Order: sequence, then C-alpha cells, then structure tokens
Amino acid sequence: MENWQIVWEARDSLISGLFTTIEIFLIGSVLAFLLGCLVVYLLEQAGPWLRRALRVAIDLMRTLPFLIFAYLLYYGLPSLGVRLDAWTAGLIALVIYHGAYFAEMLRGARLVMPAGGVEAARACGFHGFTLFRRILLPQLLIRVRPLIGNQLIYCLKDTAFLTIITVNELTAAANSIQAIYFIPMEAFVAVIGLYWMVSIVIELLVKWAGRFGRKRGFDHV
Amino acid sequence: MNSQTWLLLLEGAWTTVWISAVSIAIGVVLGLGIALVRMLRIPFVDQLLVLYVSIARATPLVTLVLFIFLVAPTFGIVMNRNLAAILALTLNTAAFNAEIWRGAFLSFSKEQREAAMACGMTPWLCFRRIMLPQMITVSLPGLVNEMSFLIKGSPAIAVIGIVDLTRVTNRISAVTYEPLPPILAAALLYMVVIYALIQLQALAEWRAHRLAV
Amino acid sequence: MSEVPVVSLEGVSKSFNGVEVLRDIHLEVARGEVVSVLGASGSGKSTMLRCINWLEQPDRGTVKINGEHIGVDAQGKQMSVRALASLRARTGMVFQSFNLWPHLTVLQNVIEAPVHVKRIPRSRAVEEALALLDKVGMGHKRDAYPYTLSGGQKQRVAIARALAMAPEVLLFDEPTSALDPELVGEVLAVMRALSLDGYTMVVVTHEMEFARAVSDQVVFLDKGKLIERAPPERFFTAPESERVQRFLATHR
Ligand SMILES: Nc1ncnc2c1ncn2[C@@H]1O[C@H](COP(=O)(O)OP(=O)(O)OP(=O)(O)O)[C@@H](O)[C@H]1O
Ligand SMILES: [Mg+2]
Repeated sequence: MENWQIVWEARDSLISGLFTTIEIFLIGSVLAFLLGCLVVYLLEQAGPWLRRALRVAIDLMRTLPFLIFAYLLYYGLPSLGVRLDAWTAGLIALVIYHGAYFAEMLRGARLVMPAGGVEAARACGFHGFTLFRRILLPQLLIRVRPLIGNQLIYCLKDTAFLTIITVNELTAAANSIQAIYFIPMEAFVAVIGLYWMVSIVIELLVKWAGRFGRKRGFDHV
Repeated sequence: MNSQTWLLLLEGAWTTVWISAVSIAIGVVLGLGIALVRMLRIPFVDQLLVLYVSIARATPLVTLVLFIFLVAPTFGIVMNRNLAAILALTLNTAAFNAEIWRGAFLSFSKEQREAAMACGMTPWLCFRRIMLPQMITVSLPGLVNEMSFLIKGSPAIAVIGIVDLTRVTNRISAVTYEPLPPILAAALLYMVVIYALIQLQALAEWRAHRLAV
Repeated sequence: MSEVPVVSLEGVSKSFNGVEVLRDIHLEVARGEVVSVLGASGSGKSTMLRCINWLEQPDRGTVKINGEHIGVDAQGKQMSVRALASLRARTGMVFQSFNLWPHLTVLQNVIEAPVHVKRIPRSRAVEEALALLDKVGMGHKRDAYPYTLSGGQKQRVAIARALAMAPEVLLFDEPTSALDPELVGEVLAVMRALSLDGYTMVVVTHEMEFARAVSDQVVFLDKGKLIERAPPERFFTAPESERVQRFLATHR
C-alpha cells in the first residue's frame, strides 16, 4: 500500500490536473452547447446558402476525429500566422467540435417535431428569436435530453486527447506521476476513478434536469 | 506534398485501419457475449459487468491505452504496442456494443419467442434461427455508429508511440516544417473512412426500419 | 356598408407545385359576422383560411385585415417579418390538431403570446387568461400540462389561447374533426357562445348543424373556387349551384 501513499502525496498534481480537465470541460461544453443552439437557430432563419454551409460544417466535424481537429488548430494554424497556446487551442477545438454534435442532435429533434406548435406560435405573432427561445428550443431540449448525457461524457473524454497536444490535464498528471515514481497502476486507477466519478455526476445532473420533461408528459425522459 | 509523404500517410492510415478493424471485430463479438451473459442475470457476475460497462464508458481512450501499456510490464507481461492498442480499443468498444446488443435483446417481442416455442423449437434453436438474425438487423445501425466512434477515438493509440494516421503528421512535418498539408491530408483520409461508415449506417438503418414495419 | 371589413380577400390565388388550389377568391367578412366555409376534402378550405393570416402565401391577390394589407403592402413589397408577425397577432387561429405547446401548462399556454408578443404585463395577462379559461370552462385545469387533457379540453384551451390575443377575427380550421364524437359538443358550445359575444369568426367545418345555426354567411369552395355565398337559410334550403345541392344531399 506504499504506492497509494505516494499517490496521496502527489495529490496536488492530480488535483490540478482534475481542475484543468473540469475547467476545460465545463467551459467547453457550455460554449459548445450554446454554439449548437445558435447553429440550429441559424438553420431555422438563414437563407439556403448559409444553411447549406452550416450543414457541411456540421458533417465535416462529424467525420473527423477530435484529435486531428485539435492538431489542425494547434500545429496547423501557426503556418497561417495564428499561434494559440495548447489550452486555448484545445478549448476552441472542443467548442467547435462538440458544438457541431449538439447542433446535429438538435437538428435531428427539429426534423421529427410536429409542425403544429410552430405554426400556432406564428399565428399568435411569434417570430424570429422569441419564437425560437420561447417555443422551439424548450421542446427541442426536452426531446434531446436522453442524448445530452452521452454527448457530455464524450466531451469529457475528448479532453483527455488534449494531453497529446501538451495540455496538463488529468491524464497528463497521471502520466507524469507514474513517470516520476514508477507507479503506473495506482496513478491510472486513481485517475480513471476520477473520470468515472465526474461522469456519474454528469449523469445524475442530467437525470435531475430530466424531471422538467417528465412533468410535461414527454416519455422516455 | 510529394509522393514520399503520401506514402507515409497511407502507411499511417493502414495502421489506423487494421488496428481499428481487429478491435471492431473482437469488440462486436465480445459485446454480444457480454450481453448474453448479462441476460442470464448471474449474481455477482452481472454486477461486475455493469461496473465494467459503466467504467469503460467513462474512461477516455487515451487514459486506457496508457494504463494498459504501462501497467502490463509491472505484472511481468511484455506488452507490444499494437497489442496494447488493440486491447484498449476492444475493451472500450465492447462495452458500448454490449449495450447495443442488450437493447436489441430486450426489445425482442415475447410473442415471437412464444410462436417459436409453439412450433416446437428449443430455446437454443429459437435463439439461433429467430432471435439472432433479427437482433443483428436491429443492432447493426448502432454497431456501425459505434465503429465510426471507434475510428474517431483511434488517434488515442498515438500516445504510446504508434505511428497512426494522426501521429504520422508529426513525423512528416518534422521533416518538411509544414504541418498544415499533412494534417489536412490526414483529415481528408479520416473523412473518407468515416463518411463511408456513416453511409453504411444509413443503409443499415433503412434495413432495420424495414424489419420494424 | 361603409364600415371596413375585418377580413377581405381580393382575387387570391394559390398553387402548390403547379396545381391551382385557390382560384381568384373574393371574400369579405364584416365585424361581428360568423362565416362558415364548407367544401369537399381537398377543395382548398384550409389553404384559404391560412392565407388570411399569411401562414400560406398567396401567389396573387391581396389580403387585408381591417383594411391593412398583410404579407405584401399596397406596392407589392414584401413586409418585414416583424410587421407580419404583429399583424398576425391581431388574428387568432384554432387548429384541427390543437397545437398546444407541450412544455407549458394550460395557463402558460394562454399567457405566452400576450406576454412575449404583445408585451402585456404578466399579472394583467394572468388575470385575463384566467377569465378566458373560465369562459371556456377550463379554469380548474390552469396548472395541468397539455398531455393530461382530453381532446375537447385541449381544444377549449386552444380557443382561450387564441382569444387571449384579443383578436379582431378568429380563424377555425375544422376545430372538432380530431375529436371523439362525444367531445364535439363541448367545443361547439364554446364557439356558439363566442358568436353570441359578437366575435368575428371564419369557421372551416363539416358540422352542418353548427353552420346552419350559428353562421351569418355560408360559403362553399369547390376545387379552389368560391362558388356559393349565402345566408344559411338560403344556403341549406335553396342553393343556387348544382354542385352545392349534390354536396348537401350527401352530407345530410
Ligand atoms: N403545403 C402543401 N404542399 C403541397 N400541396 C398542398 C399543401 N397544402 C395543401 N396542399 C394541397 O392543396 C389542396 C387543398 O388543400 P387544403 O388543405 O386547403 O384542403 P381542405 O379543403 O382543407 O381539405 P380537408 O377538408 O381535407 O382539410 C389539396 O389537394 C392538398 O393536397
Ligand atoms: Mg383542411
């Protein structure tokens, strides 16, 4: 059990790694979610050209691994004169990449939503952003709720890729501890346990948020 | 980019594809196995599998690859990089596949099973001839979707030094000092593979839909 | 009559994919008038109704609400989305499939547009909404969610929602067609009460009894053409067109 002692003594670096992971995950997923909403709003409002461009952009992200996109921003952009530090590049990658997935999720829900509710809103004089914010978005959110937890966990896991572009997050912390003290087993078990705990918290929060939909008679919520 | 770098890229792509393909193949079968064992509801084993699925779903691939590659030697196991990569990808994808198979299993209608029993089929025959073919059709869209997620996660194996399609761009730019072209080229290759899988998924969805009506 | 009609359609035509669904429709609805729209399925009744609040955009012709152009102005220029919306807010529409907003309670459904479109203070909107809900007999369900209501109850809430905008005209598109027979009566009773209150109404319906008892005018659409317009007594007893005679013979 001496090895666990070492992990405990090295807890500061684990905690700072966890903090970086959670920070980048929280900021990233919140912004990604807002970006997804914005894109769906634009899909609703925009002319055919912008719509097509957005659809292509979404599909582009869906056919790329997250890491290669992060590579593009971190290693690729400097040749165009844009130099980002690893943390910023990672965050932007997370926001755009997962923003596209959120957008796709909401778009899918929009496609199967009955037209009547929106029509009734139009007939009442709703239009533009108010129509989106008050009538459309709440219903879309209730519908995609079962998928949001999953997407957030993907987002959390994708933050670990950022260790490869040298962000000092949780996995990087485990790697450096094991390299210094030669205790890979304990270091990684601790870190996997932390990821697991964070994901459970995410799922509980999403489930708790689901009461909103259940009360309104949306099934499978 | 000259033909030399394209050749390197294709080599990286090949590494990505074969390691992913092996992991997918094992993962699909292993997932089915896990789902079947879970249907038996063996005490303790069942809880263990639930725990495995839950942890595997939450563990980033990068972390898992590092864990397996670094921990094996401490048990005196000599772990080759490719083997570690396949093991990690398989453990990850099997957890997701198990859930997909289980979903298909649980949604299988009782009436059909009863109809098969009424025809005098044994449970095993009923499983093989009636259930499994339908489960495959129903699960296929999910399984193919999971395959594209596995490929999107596969760059994680770069972390233990495997030169896959992502990592190879570092190699190339170390020589050419122009990182953008190889990264874009690699992105293009990924897009081709994953786009093909997405199309396949649409086809599978169409077939599954036909079964449902 | 010198008073401006609440609704006027002049020469409205509309095609879908090259098929003419409305042909040169002329219709005027005076204040306080109840107009029933009859016609076979597919004759263009819904399309005509939806042209009134521009949910459907006519290809030709003009539509006016209270003398004001809707959709395109007198010069034929497209209205801004905002201007169109504020004109729509002056009409109320009731749909065959209710179209209540499922994420809102009964009361919230009714005050949603007054508060967020008309920007009426919330407390006043609530007060008015409760009065309207009582009027349609749904006051006791103010905090229920739509999925808990029967079809007839949903439709009565939808009517309250339309009334909450204090509309100059109420548009009904087969409000009872999606209801079980035993629930039709409660909705028709509410509509009858509204007509007595002096609301201006355009009602697409298959309920002959209702059309006969409540309307001031009955119009008949056939293949997109408005071929008969008459007070109910004359429409149901001595229609001019042979097409209407046949229609009535099969729908008695
Ligand atoms: N959005 C649309 N796109 C294409 N065709 C349409 C559309 N809406 C209506 N139509 C067609 O226009 C014609 C008239 O439709 P409309 O809904 O106005 O008829 P209706 O008189 O209301 O019929 P019903 O009694 O069945 O409701 C129909 O042939 C219909 O198929
Ligand atoms: Mg109709």
